[in-house]
Amino acid sequence: MLDVSRVQKELAECNKDKAISGVSINLHGGDDLSHLEGTISGPVGTPYEGGTFRIDVRLPSGYPFEPPKMQFVTKVWHPNISSQNGAICLDILKDQWSPALTLKTALLSLQALLSAPEPDDPQDAVVAQQYLQNHPTFVATAQYWTEAFAKRTSVGIEEKVQKLVEMGFPEALVKSTLDSVNGDENMALEKLCSS
Amino acid sequence: MAGIEPPPVDSPASPSPASMEDAASECSTHPSFQCCICLDLLYKPVVLACGHMSCFWCVHKAMHAERVSQCPICRKPFYHFPSICWLLHFLLLKIEPLAYKRREEEVLEEEKHLDCFSPQVLDHVISDRACLEDVKGSSDGPKINDLPEIKFNSTTAKQVSLDDVICPLCKKLLFRPVVLNCGHVFCESCLSGLVDGPLKCQVCRSPHPGGIPNVCLDLDHFLEEQFPRHHITMKEGVGLERTQGQKGELSSGVPQAEKQTLKSSYNSGDGQLWFQGESSDVQIGVGCDSCGMYPIIGNRYRCKDCKEKIGFDLCEACYSTNSKFPGRFNQQHRPDHTFELDNSMLELYKKLMSQNHFI
Repeated sequence: MLDVSRVQKELAECNKDKAISGVSINLHGGDDLSHLEGTISGPVGTPYEGGTFRIDVRLPSGYPFEPPKMQFVTKVWHPNISSQNGAICLDILKDQWSPALTLKTALLSLQALLSAPEPDDPQDAVVAQQYLQNHPTFVATAQYWTEAFAKRTSVGIEEKVQKLVEMGFPEALVKSTLDSVNGDENMALEKLCSS
Repeated sequence: MAGIEPPPVDSPASPSPASMEDAASECSTHPSFQCCICLDLLYKPVVLACGHMSCFWCVHKAMHAERVSQCPICRKPFYHFPSICWLLHFLLLKIEPLAYKRREEEVLEEEKHLDCFSPQVLDHVISDRACLEDVKGSSDGPKINDLPEIKFNSTTAKQVSLDDVICPLCKKLLFRPVVLNCGHVFCESCLSGLVDGPLKCQVCRSPHPGGIPNVCLDLDHFLEEQFPRHHITMKEGVGLERTQGQKGELSSGVPQAEKQTLKSSYNSGDGQLWFQGESSDVQIGVGCDSCGMYPIIGNRYRCKDCKEKIGFDLCEACYSTNSKFPGRFNQQHRPDHTFELDNSMLELYKKLMSQNHFI
């Protein structure tokens, strides 16, 4: 049986310092506590810098005694993450899980995995081979994927809407403007000011 | 005791924004007494041999039914489900009376749902107190009767007194406390001072599997914070003994070689012999109600008279020593009950092994 009170505590705890930690976790939609969505920001100094990666999180009924099931929703070019379906190869999400780990620590581990790929234990053989044999191409591809898939998402759109609404713009207009610029806050602001 | 599958629970409560805030604001005032598994205030805490602590049910649920378990924090292997540390229990009841009471109600609700209960406080306290009274040589009836009052009427945090946290051996403030498998707490130096042969609890006489456990640092830090002056005195005292005794040995008294034997018997001793892959006789999902070994390795003796769903079981060693300790799950086991040898779970394990279920 899912430990509801623990999951609620985790959500509150993780989102308290998301600006510093760079990871956050929210309900996927609706009120199902067993289906969540995490986000991690790409680590600085890596090809993933500047990107925001969404992760689908499903909690089995045995959580926290069984690991959460995590999968990248945002496409990412990384030796330990499937470029096809976002499946992740990380020991703590499998046999090295411990009930003392949390969704936050798991997401932080994923962030660390982005910083330190382990091509010898690959999930995606093609990416791993490229990482080992043609590193500059790997970096370029990973950067391109970050640019193409991890930057123009609706991640954090609510925060952006709220921020712009607080500046005095009507909510409906803010939403449509943000949509028209693919969620870029600065461009939206420029547009709103000039309109 | 046999593993119990929790029954399915009705749809989880929807998390309203209010309940989230509640969860966030309810942080325990002593973060060191937060359970690393349920992330709530520890309830009926047990302390593992590595010195890390967790709630009774959290540890039980985190243990593996068919192989060696690992500490959720440091991954140190352990084979025995320790008994509740009642000293910590009463300490928490004093420091966080309201939160602890809330935890009690929540857990009791779950237990009713499971129809399986954690050890209840009064039996243990009476037997423990009786033991302690024996040690002191005086029996004090009213003291026992006072306990329910502390338990049910207190609404405000009380000052922790020195009496709550003394070592039964040196009768002084616990210094570098270690918690044995039976849940009793001693100074590390007091225990290491009397080691000859297998370690036995000096209060309840139950054998402790392995060597002297690691210091429970969370408790140690709490005591240091609560009783800074006493703690310094103790520190100096142990330091003095150390300089007088052998060079560099912190826990006076025990020769280095002997201590190493103890450590190695914990690390690689009996436990690993039991868990030698396919050849081991694992009673899958069945634990010993006396020593807490879970799963039982070797013969299992099942009580024929205990009516509780979880049953009452003993391992070979505890069966042959006629141990009289109460069940781990509040079973009403009595000494006149009869046992039978039951190897059904061992046969199931062998069958599963032959089908490579655990590989």
